[in-house]
Amino acid sequence: MMPTSAQLRFRTILFWLVPALMLAVPMVVNPYVLFIINGILIFVLITLGFNFVIGNLGQLAFANTAFFGIGAYSSAIATTSLGLPWIATIPLAGLAGALGGFLASAAALRGIRLYYLAIITLAFGELMRWIYVHAKSITGGTDGLSMPRETLLGFSLTDDRVKFYIFLVLTVVLVKATLNLLRSHIGRSIMAVRENEVATASLGIPTSRIIVIAFMWSGFVVGCAGSLFALHTAYVFPESFGMLQLIVSFAMVIVGGLGSVLGSILGAVVLTALPEYLRSFPGMEELFFGLIVIAVLLLLPQGLASLLRRLSPIFIERYYRE
Amino acid sequence: MLLQLTISGLSQGAIYALVALSLTVVYRSTTIVNFGHGDFVMAGAFVSYVLTVMLGVAFLPAAVLAVIAMFLLGLCFSRGLIRPIRGGPHIGYALMCIAVGYVLRGIARIVWGREVLPMPSVFDMPPVFIGNLVITGDAMFIIGTTTVLLAIFFAILALTDIGKMVQAVYQSQRGAQLIGINVDRFNDMAWGVGAAMGAMGGILIAPVSLLHPDLGASFLIKGFAAMTLGGFGSLHGAVIGALLLGVSEQYAGAYINSALIDITAYLIIVFVLLVRPHGLFGHKTVVKV
Repeated sequence: MMPTSAQLRFRTILFWLVPALMLAVPMVVNPYVLFIINGILIFVLITLGFNFVIGNLGQLAFANTAFFGIGAYSSAIATTSLGLPWIATIPLAGLAGALGGFLASAAALRGIRLYYLAIITLAFGELMRWIYVHAKSITGGTDGLSMPRETLLGFSLTDDRVKFYIFLVLTVVLVKATLNLLRSHIGRSIMAVRENEVATASLGIPTSRIIVIAFMWSGFVVGCAGSLFALHTAYVFPESFGMLQLIVSFAMVIVGGLGSVLGSILGAVVLTALPEYLRSFPGMEELFFGLIVIAVLLLLPQGLASLLRRLSPIFIERYYRE
Repeated sequence: MLLQLTISGLSQGAIYALVALSLTVVYRSTTIVNFGHGDFVMAGAFVSYVLTVMLGVAFLPAAVLAVIAMFLLGLCFSRGLIRPIRGGPHIGYALMCIAVGYVLRGIARIVWGREVLPMPSVFDMPPVFIGNLVITGDAMFIIGTTTVLLAIFFAILALTDIGKMVQAVYQSQRGAQLIGINVDRFNDMAWGVGAAMGAMGGILIAPVSLLHPDLGASFLIKGFAAMTLGGFGSLHGAVIGALLLGVSEQYAGAYINSALIDITAYLIIVFVLLVRPHGLFGHKTVVKV
C-alpha cells in the first residue's frame, strides 16, 4: 500500500516538525542527557552513511570505522596543527572521509565482493588505526589529540547546548541530502546495482561509477560525523575507532532496518540510549547488545522501521523494497 | 636466529592453523563466514580455565570436556539461530555470528570482570637446546598437539565416508540432498566441529598467553588472513597460510620493525586480495550470468 498524497504532505510536515520541536530540547533536559543526545546525533550520521553502502548499495563493506576515524583525525589535525576554526574543518573531514570511500570502492571495483570485501575493509580500518598509533608526530600516538577550546560567533564550543544546535542542523541537512540522493537517478541506480549488477550494466548504467559514488557519499557523511565526534568528546585517540565502534554501528543498521533512512535513525537512537544505562556493569552492555541484535534478527528481520511501516503507510520509503 | 624465529613462528602458526581450519570447515559446508569465531576460541579457553583452575580437573580431561562443550554450543547455535534466518541476506548471518560472539564475551566479562587471568603452564617440560637453538616446552607441546590433531582431521577426510560427504556438500548442497545426505544436520555438525576445533586453538594458546574476554578478536583476524592467503575454502590452504602467517609475523617483527607484528595479518589480507584474490590454493571464482 503506497501513501496517498495527503499522507505524503503530512509526512513532509512531520519531517520538518520533529527537528523544529527538538530545538527546545536543550531547555528541558539536564546536561548529561544532552550529552547523550549529541552522541545519538553523531551515531545517526554514522549509521546513515554505513547503511548507504550495506543497505542501499548492498555491499558488505566495513570501512565506515575507517571513514569515521579519518574524519575525526582530519578535524583534530586541522584545528591543532593548521589552526583552522573547527567549523571550517567539517567539510574538510567530509572530503577526507569521501577520499577514504574512494579507496574502499577501489577494492569493490577490483571484483572483491561479499566476505572478501568485508575482510579487506576490516583490514583497512585496522591499518588506519595502526597509523594513528604510530604516526606520533601528527596524530599524537596512543595519547591522541585534544581539541582546542574555541568560540563560534561568541558562543563557546565547549557548551553542549551550542554543540547540539550545530549537530542538529548538520544531521537534518545530511539526512535530507541522503533522501534526495536516494530519490534521484543516482539513488535508483545504486539500488539497481544492489538487486542485480549485471542487469543494471546491461541497461547502460555505469555501475562502476555508481559504486564509487555510493562509497564516497557514505565516506562523506561518516567523515562529517567524525568531525562532530572530535568536538563532542574534545579528544581524539585511536581506541575510539576500533572494532567495537564498527560492531555497534553495524548492529544499529540491522536493528533499525537495512536500506532504510528511517531505520538508521531508529537504530542509532535505540542502541545508543539503552546501553547507556548498563555502562557501569562490566559485560552487561555486551550481553544486552548481543541479545537485542539476536532478537531483532529472529523476530524482526526488516528492523524496527518495518514496525512503523506496518503501523502507517506514511513511513513507507518509496525507494525501499521489502 | 633465523631458525629460532621460524620455530616460534611455527608454534604461533599452529594455533592460527586450528582457527583458520575451523573457520574453513564452517565456510565450506555453509558458505557462512563466522565473524564471531574469535569469541568461540576465547570461550573454549575459558571453559578449560574454569575446569582446570577453579574445579581442579586435570588438563587433559578438562580439555576434552571443553571441546565437547564447545561442539554442543556450535551445534545449538546452528540449529537455534542460523537455521531460522536462512534465506535472508548474508549480512544477517554475519551479524548473527557477531551478536553471539558478543553474548559469549559479555558472559565472560560478567564472570571475570576486567581482570587478566594467567593460566598455569600445562607440562613443565624443560626447553631443548640444539646448538644455540632453544625450543621451549610450550612450543613443542603446541606444535606436537596440532600436528596430531591435523593428521587425524585430514585422515578422516581422506579415508572415511564422512570425507566424501564433506566433498559432496561442498560441491552442491542440492546434489548432496538428492543422494540422501541430510544437509541441515550436516551443517549443524559442521558448526559443531568448527566450534570444537576453534576451542582447541584456544585451549592450546591459553597456557602460553594471558586470558581475557577480548582474546578472540586478534585470532579472528589471523584466521581470516590465513584463509585469504591459503585461498578461501581450501582446507590445506588454510593450514599452509596459517603457518606462513605465523612465520612471516616473526620475521617482519625481528628484521624490519617490531611494530609490524600487529599488522602483518592486515597487510597480507590487503595485498593478497588486491593481487591474487583466490590466494595460493583457492579456485578463481567466475561470475556466471
